[in-house]
Parts: sequence; C-alpha cells; structure tokens
Amino acid sequence: MTPLRFALAQGLLLPEALGALRAIGLDVAAITPGGRRLVVSAGDLEFVLARPGDIATYVERGAAELGIVGKDVLLESGARVLELVDLGFGACRFVVAAPREELERSLDDYRHLGTLEVATKYPRVAEAHFRRRGIQVEIVKVAGSAEVAPQVGLADWIVDLVASGETLKANRLAVVEEIASSTARLIVNPVAYHLRRREVAPLVEKLASWAAAR
Amino acid sequence: MDERARGAPPRGFRDILPTEARELQAIEATLLDAFASYGFVPIEPPTVEHAGGPLSLEAGRVLEFLDRDGRLVALRPDVTTAVARLVAQRYRDAEGALRLSYLVPVFREEPAMSAGEREFVQAGVELIGPSGSASDAEVLALLAESVERCGLRLGAAAIHVGNVALVRRLFASLPAEARESVLAALRAGDQVAAFALARRAGLAERALERARHVLSLAGRGIEELGDDAEAMEIRHVIHHARELYPGGEELWGLPNVGLVPALPYYTGVVFEVFHPELGVPIASGGRYDVLLAAFGAPRPATGFAIHVGRLHRALYSEGRSTGALRPLVSLRATEDVRVTMRCARALREVGLAVALGAVAETAGAPLVLVEVVDERRVRLADGRVVDARELARELRVPGASPSRAGSLA
Repeated sequence: MTPLRFALAQGLLLPEALGALRAIGLDVAAITPGGRRLVVSAGDLEFVLARPGDIATYVERGAAELGIVGKDVLLESGARVLELVDLGFGACRFVVAAPREELERSLDDYRHLGTLEVATKYPRVAEAHFRRRGIQVEIVKVAGSAEVAPQVGLADWIVDLVASGETLKANRLAVVEEIASSTARLIVNPVAYHLRRREVAPLVEKLASWAAAR
Repeated sequence: MDERARGAPPRGFRDILPTEARELQAIEATLLDAFASYGFVPIEPPTVEHAGGPLSLEAGRVLEFLDRDGRLVALRPDVTTAVARLVAQRYRDAEGALRLSYLVPVFREEPAMSAGEREFVQAGVELIGPSGSASDAEVLALLAESVERCGLRLGAAAIHVGNVALVRRLFASLPAEARESVLAALRAGDQVAAFALARRAGLAERALERARHVLSLAGRGIEELGDDAEAMEIRHVIHHARELYPGGEELWGLPNVGLVPALPYYTGVVFEVFHPELGVPIASGGRYDVLLAAFGAPRPATGFAIHVGRLHRALYSEGRSTGALRPLVSLRATEDVRVTMRCARALREVGLAVALGAVAETAGAPLVLVEVVDERRVRLADGRVVDARELARELRVPGASPSRAGSLA
C-alpha cells in the first residue's frame, strides 16, 4: 500500500496545522514553513505542501488522501470532499463590506441603478450569497486587495475574508453583513475514507479529540 | 485560432479513439450480458428530458438549454430519474417486478478547468416493484458479478453497503426541515456542518455523540448495533447477495454506516464500488422508494449505475485492458481486382479479419501484412506462400466461424 498522502496549505494556516499534527504525535520535523521541499516523507505518511486553493483539488481528485484547509477555500472551490473535523484555528469570516461614509449613498445607487458592483477574490461565495439574498450585483473578480476597490472606484462594495477587521478599518470600510465564518477543516477523499478507513480513522479521531480539547 | 477551428471538442467532452473504444465496447457487451442473465431487459430513455424534474440534481450541475418551443430542457444528468418518469407513465398499472437495464451517456455540468467530464456512459439496472432485502440483494449481487465478469477482482473492501434509513433515524428527533438539512450536508460530505446544524436544531449532546459514533461504524463494527432493524438489513442484503454470487476468493461486501451517496433520492440500503486507483466511486446504487411517487406512481425500487469509463480506468490500472485480440490481415492487392476480392472473401470465410490495402489504425490488434497470390493463397512477409486455412491456423483463429473481437478477459 502506498503511504497516505496528507496535503497541507502553505501560508497562515501551516504553523497551526503543524502544531496540531505534532500534538497528535506525528513527526513533522522535516516540514519547514517556507522551505523548498514540497513533498516530505514522515513514517507512514507523505506530506505535500501546496497553495490553499489547491488542497481541495488534490483531495477531491484523490491525489492526496487527507488535507487541512480553511472552510473559506472549500466554500470557494465547491470541491466534493468529506469534511470531518472542525480544527478550530484559522478563524476568519466572509463579509460584505462597504465604504463607511457611503453606505447610504450606495444603497441609494442600488435603488436608482438597480445593481451594485462587488469586487472580490471569491466570486463563487459572493455570487451565491447575493443570489440567496435576492440582491442584484455585478461581480468584479480581482486577484488581491479587494479592499481598495471602493476607494479607486472599481466597485461599490467588496466581499472579502477578514480575521481581525484591521484591514477593513484601515481602508475605511464597514461590515454590511456576515456571509459565513470559517475555520480550518480536516478533509478526506471519500474513496480513501472508505477504502483506507483503518489508516485514516485513527488520524481523524485523534484530531477530533485534539480539536475538542482546545 | 478559436477552439472550433482547432477541432478540439468543447471542454468536458472528448474523442474516444479506436483502442479505447474497442475496450469500452468489450466491457459494455460483458455488462449487458450480465444484466440479461438476471432477467433485465434493455430500455433506451431519450437523451433530453424536461429540466427541473422532481428530486433532480442541484441547479448548476445540469446541462440545460431552451428548445425552439421556448421550453427549458436538459441533457439527462442521471438515468434513474428518467426511468422513474418512464415507468410512472408507461407501466402505471403493471403488476409484478419490472427489471430494466440501460447503457447510455449522461451529462453533468462541471466547473471549468477541473478536468471534469461533462459526458460519460452509465450502465445500470432498475428493479421496480419488489421491496425488501431479497430484491436489494439481487441488485447488489448483479453489480458485483457484472464488474467481476469484466475482469475486476473484488477484494473484501471493494463494495461498501450502507443504509440511508439508518442514518436518517439518527436524526429522527429533529424537526423535518432541520433533519433534511442535516441529511443534505451528509450527502455533500460535510459532517462538520451536519453536526453543527443538528446541534443548533436541538439534538442532545448524547444523541450527537451517538450519531457521530454510529456513522463511523464499518466492517465488523456494525455488529455492535445488535438486532437494530436497519443494521440487520445491511447484513442480510450482503449475506443474501453472496448466496446469489459467491464472487472470487474473498468474502465481498463491507457494511459501512457512513456511506451516504450524493444523489438525493435514496431511502434504504445503498452501495458503492471503490477502487484504490480512483478517487471517485466506480458504481453506486441503492433503494429509492419515493422517487416514483414524485412522478405519481408510488412503487418501491432499487438499482445501480456503473460509470463505464471509471470501470475501464480501474481495469486499465490493473493492466487488464489488453486481451487476446484477433489479428488484422492487411491484404496487398494484385493487379487483378477480381482475384484480390475473391482472396479477401476466402480469408474472411475462415474467420480472419481482412482489410484491403494499408492500415493506419488497428485499435491495438496485431497487424499481419500479406500479399495476394491467387484466389485462395497469400504470400507472407517471410516469403512463404500459404492458403487461407493455413493462415488462419497460423494466426490461431478458431474454426471457420467468425469470432468476436476484443474480449477483456
């Protein structure tokens, strides 16, 4: 049997993900955040480091059996994977935000022009949200820094991921409403979960009790 | 140049070239043979159905378009729903069991750049009328036998059997709406959301823990549920199915309470076939006792669908896709066209496959180059001259009867 492959998101989540794996007794010493080795063998496991957005793809297609990734990424990707444990760290929220002083004016605009322009890195999440709310918007996809879009006149509102809210404040934006909250999740490929239960289940159980004890 | 000019089909659709097509057809013939041996008769529902039927897939997963009448129609995303519609209309008053089989492409919308297929072939059966574990076992045994006949060896863990009714009962104390949201989350694979929803809807902590534990039961673990009716149903179905089809060497069929297939219409015993090389199930099926009621003709039913392309990929990964293949004779003509034609006829009469002239594609079959000598004899590449019967013997073509090409066995 090939070793179980465990995909980890590089970036903000990685230190806490490694902490969780260490806490359940896995040897993750060979993984260095920001290092160049992206595939690391550790006993019965093989770790793969990838961009957060790719973790869901790896696990959905069975290229990795397990992964740790934020719910925000799962919501945006729509990947079909098993979400088994809420690991609790990496908390952030998807919010709709608007310029603090101009919220009223943009609502007037909406009544007048019938549509709002919304800049976001997360078009899928944004679109689903406004469809549910029955608000007509035009989505403007940006690759980063959606928070400057209202200032430069690119869009009226933004949909963005916020942790502390400092970035919004610095750009004089206020939260209009919250779409969803997000934390890191343990995800598993459905076939691997059923076929390799004996290897997967102990990891799931240990991470679940680690998360519950936090 | 745009996509059309380059000749690539739209994304998610693909050309199937002769070698793969031959292998797929061999699989399909084997499957239809197996279905027929259990008394299933073929039907062919139309490719296009009205969009938005009952219990259909989530919006956005269906390829829909407006026809000239301005009606929204859909390329069928799933055959079971089409069969339910057909049965509700055509066999409304039929008594006894309907055993129907099909082998058709289905169509699903997939996000761009995900390597998702938008067209794939499903082979499956629907057993409509009987309820109870004997009919579930019949369909499960046929599924196991069908894939094994194609050459896939079923280990003990290849076919998992669950029961959606058992899962549903874990959340029975919740109000109906909340319970449906919990089940929808489980179908989507999101256990985190399912348990969060159940907690918010008021499921007691102990019941939550119990649900979490029961959902993780698989294999012998299911025995701790004792004589729980729905758990016993899983075990009975597996035991009866093994009586119908003992299978290869191992005891096939693994109880797995956590098996909750993505399609929304299942109501009872469900099953899926897995292969370690594929991240997605090869086949899935189960009992769907309310789907026909949605079309106005309530009747219990069960069935399965095999994703033929995935079955082929699983066989291919095991190196089982090449079998004994009938060689193709490429016949070089003489100046006398009549003699050439008669020679080709003589070779075909002894069971040889003969192409006139050069061959660009043999679908993986070995190519034998020969030259016409006279109406019954040809010259081989090494210079020997043999007659049709000798050539057939040399190429090991059985008898004079035309043999079937390309078995995957």
